[in-house]
Order: sequence, then C-alpha cells, then structure tokens
Amino acid sequence: MSIQDILLQQLANGLILGSFYALVALGYTMVYGIIKLLNFAHGDLYMLGSFVGFIILSFLSTYIGDGWAGILCSMVLSMIAVGLLGVLIQRIAYVPMLSAPRLSILITALAVSMVLYNGVMALTDGQYLAFPTDLSYEGFDLGNVFITNTQIILVGASFILMIVLYLFVHKTLYGKAMRAIAIDQDACRLMGINVNKIIALTFFIGTSLAAAAGIMAGTYYGSIHFFMGFVIGLKAFTAAVIGGIGSIPGAMLGGLLLGLLESFGTQIPFIGTEWKDVFSFSILILLLVFKPTGILGKTEIERM
Amino acid sequence: MKKSLLLSSLGGALAGLLVLGNVATSADLKIGIMVPTTGSEATYGKDMENAINLAAAEINKAGGVLGQKIVTMTGDAACDPQQATSAASKLVSADVTAVVGGYCSGATMPTMKIYGDAGIPMVIPAANSTKLIDINQGNAFQINSTGFDQVKTAVSLFEAKGINKLAIVHQGDGYSEDLAKLTREKWTAMGKEVVAYEVVNKGEQDQSALVTRVKSKAPDAVFWTAYYADGAMVIKQLRQGGYRNLIAVGDGSNSPKLLEIAGKAAEGVYCFSNPTVEYLPAAKSFHANYKATYKQDPDAYAALSYDGMKLMADAITRAGSTDKAAIIKALAATKEFTGIAGPISFTDKNTLARSNFVILVAKDGKWILNK
Repeated sequence: MSIQDILLQQLANGLILGSFYALVALGYTMVYGIIKLLNFAHGDLYMLGSFVGFIILSFLSTYIGDGWAGILCSMVLSMIAVGLLGVLIQRIAYVPMLSAPRLSILITALAVSMVLYNGVMALTDGQYLAFPTDLSYEGFDLGNVFITNTQIILVGASFILMIVLYLFVHKTLYGKAMRAIAIDQDACRLMGINVNKIIALTFFIGTSLAAAAGIMAGTYYGSIHFFMGFVIGLKAFTAAVIGGIGSIPGAMLGGLLLGLLESFGTQIPFIGTEWKDVFSFSILILLLVFKPTGILGKTEIERM
Repeated sequence: MKKSLLLSSLGGALAGLLVLGNVATSADLKIGIMVPTTGSEATYGKDMENAINLAAAEINKAGGVLGQKIVTMTGDAACDPQQATSAASKLVSADVTAVVGGYCSGATMPTMKIYGDAGIPMVIPAANSTKLIDINQGNAFQINSTGFDQVKTAVSLFEAKGINKLAIVHQGDGYSEDLAKLTREKWTAMGKEVVAYEVVNKGEQDQSALVTRVKSKAPDAVFWTAYYADGAMVIKQLRQGGYRNLIAVGDGSNSPKLLEIAGKAAEGVYCFSNPTVEYLPAAKSFHANYKATYKQDPDAYAALSYDGMKLMADAITRAGSTDKAAIIKALAATKEFTGIAGPISFTDKNTLARSNFVILVAKDGKWILNK
C-alpha cells in the first residue's frame, strides 16, 4: 500500500468513526446547550440503543429478515423507545435537580450512567452478544483501498439524520423554541413557551440520536456489550468540546474531525494503534488549554 | 459456625476414610485423584474425576495393574491453595501409591511440594502454568501442553501454509502478550519476518486503524493471540477491510462465540486448542463409554485426565512394582505412550516432548479439526 492508499483508506475509516462520534456528540451538545448539563449517562444511552435494537431485531428478523429492512425498522423503534427512556431519566433524575447547585446534577448524571451500565451488566452477565445480522462485504475495491456498501450506507444514514436535525432546529417553531430556551429560559416562560416540554423534546431527540448510533455500531462491528458506551461517551464529549460545546454544527464538525484525526493519527509510524485514545484525549487537553470554546463555540452569545 | 463446619467436614473425611478402609484391601493399589469437586471450578473437576475413574474401571476390568485392583480416592482441591494443601496431606497420609490430578495451577503448586517430599509419582492432566516446571521436584509429570507448546503448533501451521511475512496482534495482557512475544522470537529465529507486531486496547470496537496498519504491511498471515470477544471484531473488520490472507487465533479465542460474532468473516480462520474430546478421532469410544456411564458429555480436560490414569497404570506395569521411585523412573522413561489425546513422551523437565495442541478451522459456523 502506498501512502496515498493508506490516507484514502483512513479517510473512509475516519468518516465512519467520525459519524458515530458526531451522532453521540449531538446529544451531549443539545442537552448542554439547553440546560447546561454534561449528561455523562449519554454514552450509556448509546449502549442501551444497541441492546434495545438487538432485542427488536432478534424479534423482527423472523418476519422481515435481518437485512436492511429489519435494521431500519429496529432502528426507528429503538430510537423511539430509548428516546422515551431519555425523557423518563430526565424527569426522574434531572428535573428535581435543576435548581440545585450545578455539581449535584453532574453527580446525578454519573450515577445514572452507573445504574444503566451496571443494570445491563447484571441482565447480560457481562457477556458479549452477537448482533443478529451479518451483512455482506461487497463494496468498492480500489486496488488497496476497500470500502464496503455497509460503510457507505451507515455514513449516509448519519448524514441524513444530521441534516434533518439541523433543519428541525432552524426551520421549525419547536427548533426556534429550543434555541430561545438556550438563550434565556425565564424570558421564554414569559413569552408563553412550555419550557419543560421543550427540554423533554431535546432529551428525546438527543437520546434517540445516540440510540441510532448504537444500532449502527452493532450492525457494523457485530457485537455489543454493556461497557461499549463508556469510551465513546468520552470521545463524543471530546468531539463536542472540539466543535464548541452547545453548538449543533460544532458537534457534527467536531465528531467528524475527531474521527479523522484518530484515523490518521494511528498511522503515524512508530506510534501503534494502542495510542489511539492517548491521541484523542491529548487533543481534548490541548484544546481546553488553548481554545476552550472550541471551533464553532462563541463565548456566551448564542448556543445551539 | 466455622467450627461446626470444620467438624462436619472432618467427620465427613473420616467417614470417607472408613468407607475406603472397608473397601480397600492391602492387595489393592491406591491412587489419589486431586481435583476441585467444590467451588467455581467444580464442573471441570468432577469431569476429570469421572474420566479418571472410568479409566480405572477399564483397567480393573482388564485385570488390574500387576494383578492388583486400582482403588481411587478423591481429594478436593477446590481450586484453592489452602484446601488443596490439606487434600494433598490427606492423600499422602492415606498412603496412596500415586496421584493423578491438578486442575488449577495456583492450587496445584503448593501440593507439588507435599507430593515431592513424600516421593509420590504424580501425573498432572490439566494445570499448565510454566511456573509448575520450576518447582517440580522430579516426581510430577505435566501431560497438558504449556504456553511454549502453543507457539510450536502455531509455527508449524504457518510453515505448512508457506507463510513468510507474519503479523502478530495482542492486547497487552500477560497471557496474550506472552504468546505473541514467544511466537515472534521463534518466528524470527527461523529467519522469517514479523512485519507487524501490534497491540490493541481491550474493549475497543473500532479496529480500522489496526486493519489499515496490518494491510499496509501485506502479511501472509495474521495471528491474534488474545481473547474471543475482541478477536471476533478484529477478524470481522480485517475481512471487511479487504484482507484476504490467512488468519489464526490462539486458544484464548477458542469459543463458539467468536464464530457467532464474526459471522461469515470467521470462515476459514484457524484456531489452536487443547485436545478436547470432540476433536479427537481416537477418543470416539471413550466418548461413548463416558456418556453411557455418566449420562453427560465429557468436558474440556476429560481426555487428558483419562490419559493420565492410563499412563500411570502403564508406568506402574513397566516399573514392575509399586515402589514409588521405580514408578517415577518409569514415567520419565515414557516413550510415545498412545493416549487418546495424542502421544506422550517427556522432556527432561517432565513436560510434554511434543505439543498436543490441535489445530481447528472454522467451517460453516463451527470449529472442526483441521485435516
């Protein structure tokens, strides 16, 4: 493989990794934008998304098969189910803490995360489960560079989700309400906006995007386990910070950028693939030191 | 509570001795079995005990050893060094002629001193830590392959497949790194090339970086030395990434789960495994007898345990007496003893002269013996 081949292959790999990061980062950034909460349980909702998808697809595959139709159906159903769970978590764990000091709600989020992954660990005995689908490896063989149809479809699907989200936030009344709440909750209440409802909607959308990413990951990697949300949660947080936390286009950009940086970073000679996480989180530290607002984040002008 | 437990277990042991005392006559040959029959590893231990007793029954049916009937008695090692020590002392004071057993390496180690000091010949069917080699006083014989042996088997497969450029991937833990390092040393010592020697993080889902690195070195074979869960993802992504050459995995990945997760990507993957009954053509009748006697299938170490008892009986016959030193000498002199798990000869360290690892290949979602 020539250098160009390696770069091209890693561009493709980085895009798919980056689009997973971006989808998860969106939930982080939306929740932070609207109630200033770093929802550390977000990675676990990604994990839950893949487990719920696993259950639904196992059930559906006897009726409509384990191909793309089955995956799409289970993805939609799992997004709704996990999205509702996200709203429930918000109601039970976060709403009562909204007026408490900021640290309390952050600790609550960590507790929710532990409840979720320990719960799944107990239910699955900590086992790796094989995702009930085995897609073909057909694709484009450009000499040494190999890109499968699955990769193209998954990247395409995440871009569609991101575009829909962008349009929703910028072209609809609900989106406008979200952006307004991000600026000033009290003023929104005075204007007759149902703030609690919009916050719940934000949780629903953010969580269901994480669930979508979870199912895509299950489909792509072929196995799921209770701890799979941990590292990606931290990576998505990094991505959100890179893009500027609170900014939706920033999360998309940050996710893709982190995916690409990781992919290229691991190909540097003499640095092995085991340095991947060191690489990502060093970027987080450097960014927090030199540009804490991220690429698209502005200091306290407008979030979301 | 503790006291009453101790008392009752003492009582149990005493009762056991009494029962044994009734059965065993002075003309019988007493052989101790030391396996965990309680605790987390009890299923493996019971399986080994069953296999050893089956072998003893067969030997007795054919006339016994030197005209004497074999009577076995089991000490529960419980996979716990303390329990194992007391089980071993009990067997020694019951004056057993020989011992067959040892499943958990950690629990077997302290007993080796007890048997060694008593000069009792011992065949160890399962425990295979390389640490056992150093504390062996010369009376114990390991008939399970050690870590070094898997390397031999792996290298022989790569040679047979005409591999030149090898890529080795491990996970940085003691077990997989050891296997990777030993394989690299052996492979380079043979004048061949290790083109990639990579480490991946445990639990990492995305292996695309590894795949590109490995592919860019164009190896003839990739050897994954770590466990099945991550191994399945590595295999899947290697195939997804267009890598078409040979893939082999170590015994840590010897699980049907690997095939389930990797799906069709695992087709044709080679795996190294301890000799378990299902892959041994010579173990067919043993399998049937075991099932008829115990109403269940033999587990992982049944074949080796069975071989252990048969080997011991063979050594006693060759020694021509039940003198312990003579039996140890006969064991050491074992040449190509035909066990159902493969031929047994010993090195001067009392380990297997030839690896008994078998090579499996994935076919239609199942591991089968590689022909």
